[in-house]
Amino acid sequence: MLFGCIYLPDFPVQAALRAGMSASFIVDAVAVLDGPESLLKVFACNEQARRAGIEIGMTKLQAEARPSIVLDKRVAEHEESAQAALLGCAYDFSPRLESTCPGTVLVDLTGAGRLLGSQQEMGRELAESSAACGFTAHIAIAANADTALHAARGFAGVTVIAEGEEAQRLACLPIEVLQPAPEILDTLDSWGIRSFQALGALPSVPLTERLGQPGLHLQRLARGEVRRELVPVECPASFQESLELEEAVDLLEPLGFVLNRLLDELISRLQMRSWATDHVQIVLGLEVHRDRQLRSEGPAIREGIPGSTHQRTLKLPVPTQEPGILLKLVQLDLAAHPPPAPVNKITIEVFPARIRPTQAGLFQPLAPEPAKLEITLARLRAAVGEEDELARARVGFPLVMDSYCPDSFQVLPSSAEKQNRTDRRGIRECPPTPRLVLRRFRPPLVTRVECGPAPLAVIFNGAKSSVIQACGPWRSSGAWWGQNEQWQREEWDVAIDLKGSPSLYRIFRDLQSGQWFVEGMYD
Amino acid sequence: MASLAVIRAQVESRLPGALTVCERPTPEVFPSGIAELDRQIGGIPQGALTQIHASESHSSGKSALLISLMSQVTRREQFCALVDAGDCFDPASAEDAGVNLARVLWVRCSTKKRFHPGKPKPGLWGPMEQAFKAADILVQNGGFGLIAVDLSDVSEKLVRKVPLTTWFRFTRVVEKMPAALVFLLSCPAAQSCAGLTLRLDCAEPEWSSTEKTGSGKISHAQFLSQLRCEVEIGRSRMPKPVQSTTRPKFAVPPIWA
Repeated sequence: MLFGCIYLPDFPVQAALRAGMSASFIVDAVAVLDGPESLLKVFACNEQARRAGIEIGMTKLQAEARPSIVLDKRVAEHEESAQAALLGCAYDFSPRLESTCPGTVLVDLTGAGRLLGSQQEMGRELAESSAACGFTAHIAIAANADTALHAARGFAGVTVIAEGEEAQRLACLPIEVLQPAPEILDTLDSWGIRSFQALGALPSVPLTERLGQPGLHLQRLARGEVRRELVPVECPASFQESLELEEAVDLLEPLGFVLNRLLDELISRLQMRSWATDHVQIVLGLEVHRDRQLRSEGPAIREGIPGSTHQRTLKLPVPTQEPGILLKLVQLDLAAHPPPAPVNKITIEVFPARIRPTQAGLFQPLAPEPAKLEITLARLRAAVGEEDELARARVGFPLVMDSYCPDSFQVLPSSAEKQNRTDRRGIRECPPTPRLVLRRFRPPLVTRVECGPAPLAVIFNGAKSSVIQACGPWRSSGAWWGQNEQWQREEWDVAIDLKGSPSLYRIFRDLQSGQWFVEGMYD
Repeated sequence: MASLAVIRAQVESRLPGALTVCERPTPEVFPSGIAELDRQIGGIPQGALTQIHASESHSSGKSALLISLMSQVTRREQFCALVDAGDCFDPASAEDAGVNLARVLWVRCSTKKRFHPGKPKPGLWGPMEQAFKAADILVQNGGFGLIAVDLSDVSEKLVRKVPLTTWFRFTRVVEKMPAALVFLLSCPAAQSCAGLTLRLDCAEPEWSSTEKTGSGKISHAQFLSQLRCEVEIGRSRMPKPVQSTTRPKFAVPPIWA
């Protein structure tokens, strides 16, 4: 058996650094504060901060008194996101993982030697992979999981412990690395036991008599004798990144930079697993004007109220791994549906989907590239609008409905979607000669018609035109079972005299209202 | 003359091909689906701008010609894009005419003016501005065999205001693409930028009657049997046969005929 452990020292600080990604953050002394707003205390700090005199438990005021200290508030989402990234990083080495605690992951490396090389090489690879994810990690490799865990907690850099040398290598570690219960730690301290070596050297039976089974377990851990199976964790299926902004952003252009970084991060995590995405969800936290809300909705307004977030969902017809395409789509969508207030928090979740491998052929007919087409559609929607008055899309692939109701069609966002549908009409054979088509007026033009047994004149475009020829009436009706959708009409095909030349139109009379309309021109 | 040959050799050694006449390759064409027209012009050229113009208020067969072209393109499993400035395309008619609608991207411009925060010209955009913007986007995207822009409902006055540089830009962009760019207009506007110009005259309808009464025809016993259309080839870069002086004529029967 062979186990590796990735341990991130000062995990809350590293999570905050990863979320901030500011260059000044990385070199500076950073302390993370936690607690109620009125009593914020230092929860974690990095080595530079410790050197500057920051201690865990200090109040915010005390911490601020130290020079050049960057203080950041603890955010649970940042830590969850960092832990997910850490698991993703470990998943590259083995599917058998244990998320031991925040900032610590155990990896089962049994049998990975042929793929990854020697134990030293494995350790180096784990360190490089963690660094690529933006973490400073301690790596340990040992024959049992707990030895690897304690070595990673106790030693910086990469540590490789050969089988049988566990007790010897762990001997110098302080007893606190075992994280015993406070009362046991006090007892051991009162006995003068302060290192793994001292605890391991105690006789087992008297130790068990005094501290019970927990004491014996601690001793076995200190000797590196405990062998256990990992508690496996599923690879994170949720790909979410969030970022809280120090100052709210009210323009879309600067927001693009933040979106770009988050999408890059998410896509690189997807790429590690050979996944793509066809579904992106963006939640923008808005800086709501609290006073105005208090006036309008009362004092019960707190965070999480509806309207304090702006949510957008993008669904793509084809999964993609291109962050540039996703960014452009998100930008176009936000330009079409801008957030109503400045944004102070961004959360992006992408849902994984399998990549659709397609084989391109030399003799394949010309077709738009699906991912590029999606951007084109979004840009077209921005130019001509999204929907008409009847909530039908303005851009897309038309689909004629299986109905006798005139002008009943849908506009689908993608061609692939249409092919999945069962179209009862099917694709018609191409006729040998061109066919007369109707140019529709949407909505039909209201008109007046002088009528005998057939229409005699049509008042059209502000002028009265005599009807040269008329054929009809062709009556049709439908949707009699519905309340508002019911229609009854009487159609006529008429040739009218326009400026001395005949022109063909389709007119109809709504039998319910008696109103005449011009439906379109035959052309 | 020897010096001319020397100069020519010197120039060509520095700038190869500078003095050779660039021969324009014969463009690939899409058949329009109208035999008479295809016989004379070969078809609608790819990599060129084609303008089809006819009166906006008269039946002339311009839409039938466009739909016929679209059906020919989709039959070759290529994609079409139709920018519809007047929102007057009827998908049912097109499907009956043999167009595979799964391969038609339809852009329905809003007939009302809408605010567009575009750079560098924000403001209210009418159907024509929207149509030109959409055509621009589609030409940039590529992948379409036919990009058709139907501006026939836009008034002649507005179409004539489109600067020549706009048409020139479209011509330049499309000439390196294996796509046909077709504009349906109420008047000729692209001038020399058009690779092919077709003008359709007002068509003559023909009626068939099955019954007659003493005073005249019974209105519900007669049908429109066909529309007789005539095309004038205004400008073509394709080599025309000698008999091209005769105008191509074609009949467009309705679906029910």
